[in-house]
Amino acid sequence: MRFTLIKDLQKERPMVMSINILLLFTLLYLVSDIFVKTENFGITLTALHTTLFGNADEFIDPITRAVFLEHLHGEIFFMMMILLTLSAVFVRVSKKNSFSLLVLNLNLISALFSLITLAVGYFYLSSFLPLYLATFFSWHILSFFMSFYALWRLNAAKI
Amino acid sequence: MQQRYNSLVLYFVLFSLLLLGSAYLLFDAKIGFSYNGILHYYQGDKTLFTSAKSFSGILKIILPHIFAFGLFLMVLLHFGVFTAFRKHPLFRYFIYTLGIAAFVELFSPFFIILGLGFFAYFKLLAFFVLEVGTLIFIWLLFRSVLTH
Repeated sequence: MRFTLIKDLQKERPMVMSINILLLFTLLYLVSDIFVKTENFGITLTALHTTLFGNADEFIDPITRAVFLEHLHGEIFFMMMILLTLSAVFVRVSKKNSFSLLVLNLNLISALFSLITLAVGYFYLSSFLPLYLATFFSWHILSFFMSFYALWRLNAAKI
Repeated sequence: MQQRYNSLVLYFVLFSLLLLGSAYLLFDAKIGFSYNGILHYYQGDKTLFTSAKSFSGILKIILPHIFAFGLFLMVLLHFGVFTAFRKHPLFRYFIYTLGIAAFVELFSPFFIILGLGFFAYFKLLAFFVLEVGTLIFIWLLFRSVLTH
C-alpha cells in the first residue's frame, strides 16, 4: 500500500463515494439530533425552560447539575468531531471565495456560542436561552448547507 | 487553503477548551476532587445512601470514553506534527504521558472497587495530568496557529 495525495478529488470515484457516505450520515445525524432534542431537551423556549428549571405546576423536577453537565460534555465532543470532519471536507471541495469562508466561520462560531449560551443560560442567566436556540438552529442549518454543497461539488458540479 | 485549515485547528482548540472545562465541572459535580470523594463515589457511602459501583457499571461508563479518549488525543496530538514543536525532544514523552494518563484515568476505578483505595490518588493524578497536559498542548497549538 502506498499513500498519496489526491489532487483531483472528483476523478477518484471510490474516494468520492466514501465522502458521500460521510456526508449522508452527517445529514442523518443533524436530522436525528433535532428529533432527539425535541423529545428529550426541548427546542422551544418553554420546553427548554421546563427541562432545565422544572415546572412546579406540572410537578416536573429541574434537571440536576450533574445530568446537565453530562449532556453538555457529550454535546461538546460530538459537535467538535462532526464539525471538524464536515468543515475539513467543505474546505477541500468548496471554491476558495469569501462566501465559503463566511459560511464556515459562521457555522463554527454558532456552534461554539450554542454551547456557551446553553451553559450560561443554565448556570447564570436564563435570558441567554433564546440565544442558545438561535445558535442551535443556525449551526444546524449551516451544516445542512455545507453538507449539501459538498455533495453537489463532489457529484454534480462541473469544475 | 492552508489558512482555512489553520482556522479549523483554532476552532478545534476552542472546542477542546470547552471539553476540558466541562470535564472538570463534571468530575467536581459527580465525584469531587478529594480522596474520600472518589472512594465514596466508587465504593459507595452508607451515610449518603449511595451504593458501590459494579464492574459492569464502571465498564458501561468508560466504554464510550475509551474510544472518545483515543480519538480526541489522536486528533489533538497529530496536529503537533505540523508545528515546530515536533522536533522537540520532549514531544514523544509528552504524547506517551498523555496516553498513559488517559489509560490510568479510565481503568483505575476497577482497582478502587477491588478494595485498593490508594488507586483514588492515581485517578486524581491522572485526571490532572490529562487536563494540564492537554491545556499545555492546546496552548502550543494556539501559539503555532497564530504565528502562521
